[in-house]
Amino acid sequence: MQIITCFKVVPEEQDIEVNSSGSLSFERAKLTISAYDLNAIEVGAQLAEAHGANLVGLSAGAANIDESKLKKNALSRGPESLYLVADNGLADMDTYQTAAVLQAAIAKIGVYDLVLCGEGSADLYAQQVGVQLGQMLNVPTINSVSKVTLEGQHVIVERTLEDEVETLEIALPAVISVTSDINLPRIPSMKQILAAGKKESTTWTGADIGLSSPVKSIETIETKAPKQTDRKQEIVEGDSDEAVQKFLEKIAKELK
Amino acid sequence: MKILVFAERNAALAELCSGARALGTQVEAIVIGALDVPVDADKVYSIPAQADVMLEDYTESVAAIMDKAGAALLMVEPTKRCKVIAGRIAAMKGTSVITDIMEISAGLETKRMVYGGMAIRKEKAASGTMIAMVGPGVLVASTAAPVQGAVETVAFVEPSAKIKVVGRQKKPKVSVNLPSAKRVIGVGRGVGKEEDLAMIREFADAVNGEVGCSRPIAEAEKWLPKEAYIGVSGLMIAPEVYVAVGISGQIQHMVGVNRAKTIIAINKDKNAPIFKQADYGIVGDLYKVVPALVKQLK
Ligand SMILES: Cc1cc2nc3c(=O)[nH]c(=O)nc-3n(C[C@H](O)[C@H](O)[C@H](O)COP(=O)(O)OP(=O)(O)OC[C@H]3O[C@@H](n4cnc5c(N)ncnc54)[C@H](O)[C@@H]3O)c2cc1C
Repeated sequence: MQIITCFKVVPEEQDIEVNSSGSLSFERAKLTISAYDLNAIEVGAQLAEAHGANLVGLSAGAANIDESKLKKNALSRGPESLYLVADNGLADMDTYQTAAVLQAAIAKIGVYDLVLCGEGSADLYAQQVGVQLGQMLNVPTINSVSKVTLEGQHVIVERTLEDEVETLEIALPAVISVTSDINLPRIPSMKQILAAGKKESTTWTGADIGLSSPVKSIETIETKAPKQTDRKQEIVEGDSDEAVQKFLEKIAKELK
Repeated sequence: MKILVFAERNAALAELCSGARALGTQVEAIVIGALDVPVDADKVYSIPAQADVMLEDYTESVAAIMDKAGAALLMVEPTKRCKVIAGRIAAMKGTSVITDIMEISAGLETKRMVYGGMAIRKEKAASGTMIAMVGPGVLVASTAAPVQGAVETVAFVEPSAKIKVVGRQKKPKVSVNLPSAKRVIGVGRGVGKEEDLAMIREFADAVNGEVGCSRPIAEAEKWLPKEAYIGVSGLMIAPEVYVAVGISGQIQHMVGVNRAKTIIAINKDKNAPIFKQADYGIVGDLYKVVPALVKQLK
């Protein structure tokens, strides 16, 4: 049994700065594993531990995703090995491009029974890569999975929808996208971090997987921070009786 | 320009069709089974409803109608099920889906939130057919008299891989009335125990408000239903007053309350980002401040 867990490398949210023009600056932003994908990795790790499956991590993006700290971070969370498609031709991909690259990488990896994705990426959150990948691989695919149980050659999943929860039986191989409340991703221990350094990781370029950069299907015209509402920022310091009283006087008319 | 419309719920289909009318010259709707509401569409493609087939298994059928209709834009309701359908069709057609758009112009330029609400991205399809997921309230309904187009029945296309539905359970109806509440008290991680929500509820009652929360309270702690969390991936609200109690003020949460007229913050950390985005605030322990406020407000 081989499980592939996909993850996206994104700029750390807190480090993104808004320029005076409203454009975003990523200059100081470190790269990190997209938060929702940590849930997918955790699902993979738990399934692998429970069933003795082999867990493989897979990510695609610009050349800078091939970085030792990031790789260690991913590997310390459970995968036995890692595949990266790291190529500057793959920067800023749309969901179709990402799915196409992942599909080509999976074809090169060769074997898989289950592919796990996070529900959406922390940066663009289009919630599309998992289902597009499933379609491209021509296997059953489903999103919003809040529980996964492996049973022989199929998985039983719970899927949380707007007003109902459904239980589905999906034949493997399959691609499923998991929700962010499916688990609490582990905080890797020192031992796991050290062990991660010894695990194998393979880096491919687009050409290695037989793919130059797929054509863009979405054109970005502009990305700009919205203007923030000006707030009064009248802040009372301290929670003594007088401070609370002062605070109450300020807010009383709003709450009356 | 021809626009095709597909939705999970008939009410959403009707709304999208009426909105599409203002964008395109020809509007065509796709329905499964019979249509039980009037929709403003020049043509309705009806896929016969199949027994024991989940909505996602109509993907191939919808894709076939797209080929047939040759529309410039496929507009889809942004539900979880429809996200699977739209995504799979996009993969078949070599395109992407622009999801959860908040605006669409006549030139088919869309706007949506990215980076957790930190920025708004304007984008459009680079080629071929565009697939966009459009939520309620995004489109302005057309005022022209609705057209009741002819219904054409199209054959169901058997999917290559079906998923077996083993069980289905309705989620309990939650009575969160946040979107219409004038005052909302938001609870965050600063609240230590589920029992302490009683204190927050008392506060909400005292000011005639409703209780909402940040994501970790709903998702990690599960103290409140998912439908009660506010933010980019939760509810977007615009109450008269929003009181953030023990909430740090991360962007993903704040985009959900940016439109509040007044924001009030209670947080013990002077450097919490919430204070930069609040009209009034108190740097203090919520366990002291909230009971004191409740006592005085009662
Ligand atoms: C892609 C993405 C989407 C997200 N979407 C959402 C979303 O829609 N909604 C959302 O809410 N979050 C969302 N998040 C999570 C978000 O980034 C924050 O993690 C979350 O909002 C933080 O919740 P919090 O403020 O309750 O907790 P924290 O950030 O942990 O803040 C707790 C605050 O409580 C204060 N505090 C602690 N004890 C006390 C006390 N006794 N008295 C007073 N104050 C106290 C602390 O000083 C602190 O500021 C999203 C994250 C990502 C990555």
